[in-house]
Amino acid sequence: MSLNTLYRFFKSVRLAVVLLLVITVFSVLATLVPQGREEAFYQASYPVAVYRLVTVLHFDRFFSSILFLIPVFLFTLNLAVCTVDRFLRRARSRTPKRYGPDLVHIGLLLLILGSLASVLARQEKNFSVASGDEVTLSKTYSIKLLSMQFLRYENGSPKAWISTVRVFRNGNEEIPTFPIRVNHPLRLPGVAVYQTTWEDKGTLTLKDDQGNEAKGRPGQGLQDGESYWYFSDIIKDGEVLRAAFREYRGNEVVSTRMLATADRIGPYTVTRIESIPMSGLKAVNDPGYLLVIVAVIVLAAGLGLTYFQKKREEKP
Amino acid sequence: MIGMAVVALALIALSAVVQAVALLRKEPRLDPISHWLLGAASALLFATLLLRSIRIGFVAVTNTYESLVFFSAVICAILLALRLTAGKRPFSPLVAFGATIVCLALLMISSSPIAPKDIQPPIPALQSIWLVLHVTLAFIGESFFVVSFVAALTYLGTKSVDRRADMDRLMASSIGIGYPIFTAGALIFGAIWAETAWGRWWGWDPKETWALITWLLYTAFLHTRLVKKLRGRTTAVLALVGFVATVFTYFGVNFLLAGLHSYG
Repeated sequence: MSLNTLYRFFKSVRLAVVLLLVITVFSVLATLVPQGREEAFYQASYPVAVYRLVTVLHFDRFFSSILFLIPVFLFTLNLAVCTVDRFLRRARSRTPKRYGPDLVHIGLLLLILGSLASVLARQEKNFSVASGDEVTLSKTYSIKLLSMQFLRYENGSPKAWISTVRVFRNGNEEIPTFPIRVNHPLRLPGVAVYQTTWEDKGTLTLKDDQGNEAKGRPGQGLQDGESYWYFSDIIKDGEVLRAAFREYRGNEVVSTRMLATADRIGPYTVTRIESIPMSGLKAVNDPGYLLVIVAVIVLAAGLGLTYFQKKREEKP
Repeated sequence: MIGMAVVALALIALSAVVQAVALLRKEPRLDPISHWLLGAASALLFATLLLRSIRIGFVAVTNTYESLVFFSAVICAILLALRLTAGKRPFSPLVAFGATIVCLALLMISSSPIAPKDIQPPIPALQSIWLVLHVTLAFIGESFFVVSFVAALTYLGTKSVDRRADMDRLMASSIGIGYPIFTAGALIFGAIWAETAWGRWWGWDPKETWALITWLLYTAFLHTRLVKKLRGRTTAVLALVGFVATVFTYFGVNFLLAGLHSYG
């Protein structure tokens, strides 16, 4: 096959339409299959033949599978050749030049490149920090959490989670305070920090009769003869913090207790109950970020230009 | 506030009746009041959203009820605008009637239990100007797709060559206007909002994937029509399928597939 034949094949709009429809049909099928679950899930959810089809064709991770990536690759190639061909034809022709669609096509190509850079090199790190904690974001930057606020509406629903941080560059203070909120990330060169979650991390300190100290978190438990005491949660009772325990005998819950400081449970006495508010933050290093921003601007400019040029041409 | 939406629903229903009577009588002229009824309904629906926005201190497009009211208000406004700007070539009464019925259906769904009307202030993730642009522009684009859908149906249901030519033109122009607005709203501003809120542009959430599917179908429509110069059944069917994808993106994904966009 000559280079000319290949060029003609890839500049075809018919090929573009066929690939668009192929990607569409595959994407529709992929949305019918829950993505990214364990293999056991698909085995349990579908008849054997469908389960085999889903796993062999990678419909369980469709958007990173060959079945999706090959049509997308061919579409990208088709789009690139079409863009060049269209641009050259426009430049040579004497008819009014409409560069809007060219900009849209270039924007889409940049978007695909940006997405590729993002998929291949994006790094993400989740961390949970308490007031006073310091976290290293990159070789250059670190942040220290100064304070946290959890604001609620009158009906109790969350209004805002605000983590106020101090930014350090190579150990020196760069930004004294910055409030990170949902939809208001901290953006630094090479890394952005997002507010993701908010939680209260409870800690219970116990002491036995010999003076030995033990610490526990919700979800843990202790054996006391035939009983197993399961530490389920820390609950605020007015101004007092209480540790909620469930007593199990075998698989049955036989009693529940709400312990305060100085109460006894099994061989232990409760010496301290703490609830530490923790802020869940996410640091993202996305090398595709700038390319995607440029792509979005070019795409928007192309759409606008196409629209206004068409309107102008329609005028008598 | 619900009262205004109910009055708007009644006005749209009345407009549909007036249009139906005119269609059945095969009157040569368009009726003089149905579009004004739609205009009044649109104003009432926008007023409903304005009052809700004042109550929650944010643009009220953050749940299914509000998005349905916005969608209906925009369709009514577009129908009024198309009628007023039609000029010498009057806007097809059949298309106006079909789009009015779609609008009526949307508003009826908004008054059903599947769209709770509680006035809730937005949770932190929804407090973003990008979300407002994402939702409003996506629905404005989709409102033009409603017109193209009815035009495609009319095209496929008629044998008149003149009417087919009119419908073909209307299909293309409504998608031509709706497509860039939908692209900007559903895809571009949606991606920017996702990046600002969660640190990722795209997550292959079912709603995102279906918005992309809708966009791909209308992209295929524009390329077959504008570049390959195809006309007729193929493009009408593509416009029809595109609208089915639009409706599924809005309702089907919410009720049949799990994802992040529970509000619509």
